[in-house]
Amino acid sequence: MGRFIATSLGASEQRELRRLLTASALVHLALALFLGFSPGGEIVMPLGAIAVELVAMPAPAQAPAPAAAAKAARLAPPPPPPAPKQVVLPKETAPPKPEPKAVTKPKPEPQPSSEPATEREYSDVLSELRAEAGDEAPSPAAPTQTAAAVGSPTGQPVSPAFLAWERKARIHIRQNWVVPPSFRNEPLRTSITVELDAGGTILGEPRIVKRSGNPWYDDGVVRSIQKASPLPAPPEAGEWSFVFVADEGF
Amino acid sequence: MRRARGFAQLVLLLLAGVSRVAAEDRPSVVIDPGQARNYGVAVQRFATASAAANPGRVDAFREQIVRGLEFSSVFRSIDPKAFLGPETTVSIDDSDSVLCGDWRSIGADALVEGTLRTDAGQFIVEFRAWDTTRCSMLLRKRYAQPAQADVAPLARRIADDIVAAFIGVRGVSATEIAFVSTRGGSQEIFVMNADGSNARAATANRSINTFPNWSPSGESILYTSYRYANRPLLFVSTRGRGKPGRVLAKLGNRAGIYRGVFAPTGPRLALVMSEGEAAEIFSVNLDGGNLKRLTNNRVIDVSPSWSPDASRIAFVSDRSGSPQVYVMNADGSDQRRLTFQGSYNTNPAWSPDGRWIVYETRLEGQFDLWLIDPTGSTNVPLVSHPRNDEAPTWAPNGRKLAFSSTRRGRADIYVIDLSGDNLLRLTENAGSNTNPSWGPFPR
Repeated sequence: MGRFIATSLGASEQRELRRLLTASALVHLALALFLGFSPGGEIVMPLGAIAVELVAMPAPAQAPAPAAAAKAARLAPPPPPPAPKQVVLPKETAPPKPEPKAVTKPKPEPQPSSEPATEREYSDVLSELRAEAGDEAPSPAAPTQTAAAVGSPTGQPVSPAFLAWERKARIHIRQNWVVPPSFRNEPLRTSITVELDAGGTILGEPRIVKRSGNPWYDDGVVRSIQKASPLPAPPEAGEWSFVFVADEGF
Repeated sequence: MRRARGFAQLVLLLLAGVSRVAAEDRPSVVIDPGQARNYGVAVQRFATASAAANPGRVDAFREQIVRGLEFSSVFRSIDPKAFLGPETTVSIDDSDSVLCGDWRSIGADALVEGTLRTDAGQFIVEFRAWDTTRCSMLLRKRYAQPAQADVAPLARRIADDIVAAFIGVRGVSATEIAFVSTRGGSQEIFVMNADGSNARAATANRSINTFPNWSPSGESILYTSYRYANRPLLFVSTRGRGKPGRVLAKLGNRAGIYRGVFAPTGPRLALVMSEGEAAEIFSVNLDGGNLKRLTNNRVIDVSPSWSPDASRIAFVSDRSGSPQVYVMNADGSDQRRLTFQGSYNTNPAWSPDGRWIVYETRLEGQFDLWLIDPTGSTNVPLVSHPRNDEAPTWAPNGRKLAFSSTRRGRADIYVIDLSGDNLLRLTENAGSNTNPSWGPFPR
């Protein structure tokens, strides 16, 4: 019967059973030595009680929205895959030390069939290098973004000056926008409007026109545009709007 | 005609130039994520009220906060040597402003400052976290604990709070992972911090112990042990906080109880038990009362994993001829096959947000980890390697997973972000380390 179970149990249960059978002699020995009966087999690890007092927490961190947002996300159709990467480690090379300080991601082996995420990062680097060299990099997501940008909402054609600035501004803002892994590839989208002077400096506070549903994501967007000030000089001073999309390209 | 249109466009452009144009009349600039994945954070040495405070302890406290922040994958710490502002907190009085420009200029998106003191037998820490870009305080909090208690967990807890203040998802550096290790010769349950530090034994019965599983409160760890009469039975280890011992007493001496898994919402267990020939899944109270059979057939049904609301259970069955992942309602109704790809899929684990089920799939003779959503419409790889990656378990914030892998020969425990980034090995050179179970947030 044991054999029957062993052949049809799950992998880990199977291994456990095998271990059980091979080690049963050991167990009996242990029993004979009365070691297994020790009721004091548990290690005592007391932990002091911790009293918490929230002295102050301003609005963004206090917003109860994430629960609602999380619920909405649960109800929403399954999001795009969270950019799972094929983590391929070089065989038998030293993986990172357990200290978080040494959190160096083991370099994946170069794969000819790299997936979209990797390609995107590569072109990211390219565009940043180009930006540094003063080039206008072709944006990785250019087709979508140009489609979104070409033609203003009023149906007017977009000027070449706008297109040139748009590219520079996008590269500049991306460099200042921190998107933690938690937000990447989530269906989050925030629209903001800022007033720019002729030199690209943001005047006053950015205004959120459309919220993403996640206040912390919105917060990060506002943080990034402020950090990015001054932006490249716009075609003209005035109000400009930006849409921050976490799952673009997936 | 063409010329006329061009002229009209020119007029429109000129008009646009002279009149004030509202943003909504202009095209938007679409921004997608670039490379930047973490915020720079400057963590000061916390100020101590008394000169007698042990400087080493103060530095260690700072180091623990830094470790906790970096473990989140949300922050990277800035070396204090680069600080333009003070290395040690001057004051956290609300009347004192922070020179945000000094911190921004060294790349610190965030500043953490605080004070430590001992008062009436209590160790009291108070801290503030700043968003330096907008120069706004995101968080201010005070913790107190008995003066003699270990302060490292408190420091990691502060780090996790700061992560929550920035991204709305609490960090998990103050959580623990239970696992099975043979480092001492026998196969015991161990517990370590989520970053792999401070591993210590939770059982010491010199027998075979396996399948650790945390109670939802984090008070105890359920595990299967062969310590009595060579027969698998369930026990709890409370690690000194309560009476440890055997559970399911009302079940009496059933033939084999292979594995128990706590429901996330209450005291009920999913149980893998074999009374006849094949292991089946049951649900039962911790004392063994109210036993209900959920699967009932001649084949093996194992590896239960609850959905976060405890309304459903994912499990493994070989009713189709090969082991595959199934889902059912918690009362055993509506059993449906979820995985159809591959000839061997096992060890499902439902994510805390309910969106994913991670599982092992055998490809080319070795196990990889894949993610599937509970409807089965999305099925994607998470970890793949020429050697086995097994027994995945979710961090309570749903943003990291731990698993065991034989990629270095003997099995070790690793963690990885849900995004596939930041693979980190937690155990090293100490026997075989398997079957991780990630504990809940500390209370």
